[in-house]
Amino acid sequence: MDRDLLRQSLNFHGPSLLSLLRSEQQDNPHFRSLLGSVADPARGPPGQQQLPGRKERRVDNIEIQKFISKKADLLFALSWKSDAPTTAEVSEDNDDYYAVMPPLEQFMDIPTMDRRELFFRDIERGDIVIGRISSIREFGFFMVLICLGSGIMRDISHLEITALCPLRDVPSISNHGDPLSYYQTGDIIRAGIKDIDRYHEKLAVSLYSSSLPPHLSGIKLGVISSEELPLYYRKSVELNSNSLESYENIMQSSLGFVNPGVVEFLLGKLGIDESNPPSLMRGLQSKNFSEEDFASALRKKQSASWALKCVKIGVDYFKVGRHVDAMNEYNKALEIDKQNVEALVARGALYATKGSLNKAIEDFELALENCPTHRNARKYLCQTLVERGGQLEEEEKFLNAESYYKKALALDETFKDAEDALQKLHVYMQVILYFLLEM
Amino acid sequence: MEAGGPGTCGGGAETRGSEGRLAPESRVHFRVTRFIMEAGVKLGMRSIPIATACTIYHKFFCEINLDAYDPYLVAMSSLYLAGKVEEQHLRTRDIINVSNRYFHPGSDPLELDSRFWEIRDSIVQCELLVLRVLRFQVSFQHPHKYLLHYLVSLKNWLNRYSWQRTPVSITAWALLQDSYHGGLCLRFRAQHIAVAVIHLALQAYGVEVPAEAEAEKPWWQVFSEDLTKPTIDNIVSDLIQIYTMDTEIP
Repeated sequence: MDRDLLRQSLNFHGPSLLSLLRSEQQDNPHFRSLLGSVADPARGPPGQQQLPGRKERRVDNIEIQKFISKKADLLFALSWKSDAPTTAEVSEDNDDYYAVMPPLEQFMDIPTMDRRELFFRDIERGDIVIGRISSIREFGFFMVLICLGSGIMRDISHLEITALCPLRDVPSISNHGDPLSYYQTGDIIRAGIKDIDRYHEKLAVSLYSSSLPPHLSGIKLGVISSEELPLYYRKSVELNSNSLESYENIMQSSLGFVNPGVVEFLLGKLGIDESNPPSLMRGLQSKNFSEEDFASALRKKQSASWALKCVKIGVDYFKVGRHVDAMNEYNKALEIDKQNVEALVARGALYATKGSLNKAIEDFELALENCPTHRNARKYLCQTLVERGGQLEEEEKFLNAESYYKKALALDETFKDAEDALQKLHVYMQVILYFLLEM
Repeated sequence: MEAGGPGTCGGGAETRGSEGRLAPESRVHFRVTRFIMEAGVKLGMRSIPIATACTIYHKFFCEINLDAYDPYLVAMSSLYLAGKVEEQHLRTRDIINVSNRYFHPGSDPLELDSRFWEIRDSIVQCELLVLRVLRFQVSFQHPHKYLLHYLVSLKNWLNRYSWQRTPVSITAWALLQDSYHGGLCLRFRAQHIAVAVIHLALQAYGVEVPAEAEAEKPWWQVFSEDLTKPTIDNIVSDLIQIYTMDTEIP
């Protein structure tokens, strides 16, 4: 079990959860070993150190705590971790895949002070920020941040957060002159966060792509136009001018919301895997399902069985000389199960009997591909190859015939007929050569 | 309504007799929806088609008495129908194979005999029956789409490391899928279920939405204007009840 997750939950719910966990998970060896390190009851007498809301929470969420304790081994299992990309993502430019929304805190109407505090807590080096140049000095320029370009999407335009871009982090546009002369106040700049002083709320940015993480290094830093501002920011601005608009309305009027592939897209974005659907029901843990019970496996098995039935009927027809009916059955079988080995061998034999040697060879070869150990497939193939070789000899296509004999020998080096035929052919060819040279 | 009644309709999951024992219909519905979900996974169905199949099943037995038709046949037809509605078409042959194996573990797949064709005919005919009972309204608004959007919005507000190490998304998704064992989908709005499921997931891991106390509007109210805290608590309570059933029903 994940110790940190467990501890977080215990801290939230208090000692009542701990005792519930103890009774529910007592048979779980993982939990017992974690118990020592995690079971850190709230320091001091209960009720004093906790937030005022805690007491009531504990009373009415005892049901939830019971649920947690029963499902703890699943909830806190290490394998439950998501596969979401842990790298920062660039903010979307369009609404095509899903409904891009203004930041949640804007709807929640969270005070400026808290937004600032949380921004400085959560911003990371390598995040892309977008802002307007407020002043240019000899040592660099200052910009007021208006939004973020990657990582977390926050509403910061009214927080008056400034960042400094030092001169050394401004690439020079031309070979001479001051790199800063290229910029003017009011320019919209996209930059990467280079340094953060969280305590003093100071930020330093850079216009070099080296300040960005490798997977984002293709993003252009520097001056951008207002059309390039991220979509979430534009929506945020719209929301500001029409503050009564609800989350739901904005979401439902967005084109991305009705994208048929929206669920698939967002599942990928959030790292949820549908092929192994997660569940908290003990009976539905898909890792307990056997591969053999799945539809595709059953279908394959069934197809092979159905095809075999047809082949048997076909063979019976063949034995009494009803070749046309036999062929029908074999073809039926192959329609049901395209690569059915028995059907291919049987059909190949039928072709060979009727004299369509090439078709026979095709079928035998395919059968052997699917089942290299099939005795009859190999035997019949060798025989048919030699027979075909013989035909070619009659037509005086000696080299061709030779290749067929050789092929047969390659499949089965003990095949006497092939060996004999090959030798005979070689002798004959030598004789011809002799006569030709003599002329 | 006769024997069915509002008690068993969708709320069948939670109907309990005088001693707190589950009504027999609830047990059946639980088992059959379990079958639907397991078969759905084995058929390679995505989450939404499975959810649709369960919803169709629940809605059907709101109108029809449980004794009237074989619930498992209705379930198989629901799967077939849901595949069509949600554009993930299934072949009856696969449904029959998976179901047969479910009821007779380890058995060989069925031969192409009259029994096979009879079963197939039953499924197709039952499908038409289901459609008529549901008045051909088989397209539903599921919470899934809402849930995913809400999760993306939350993800941006929470600290990224906190989000990464806490499997809130996966748990919320699991809770939502599991909820189809009961008839929550019929009693509550899709948006409300989506929010409730996130709430439970956050509670399970002890995650607090930053600055929640200082906000003018709580996060769940943002997502759905007409949602109230009691509604969330009701949904969560019903959901937990469903899990309790899992232990009571073999």
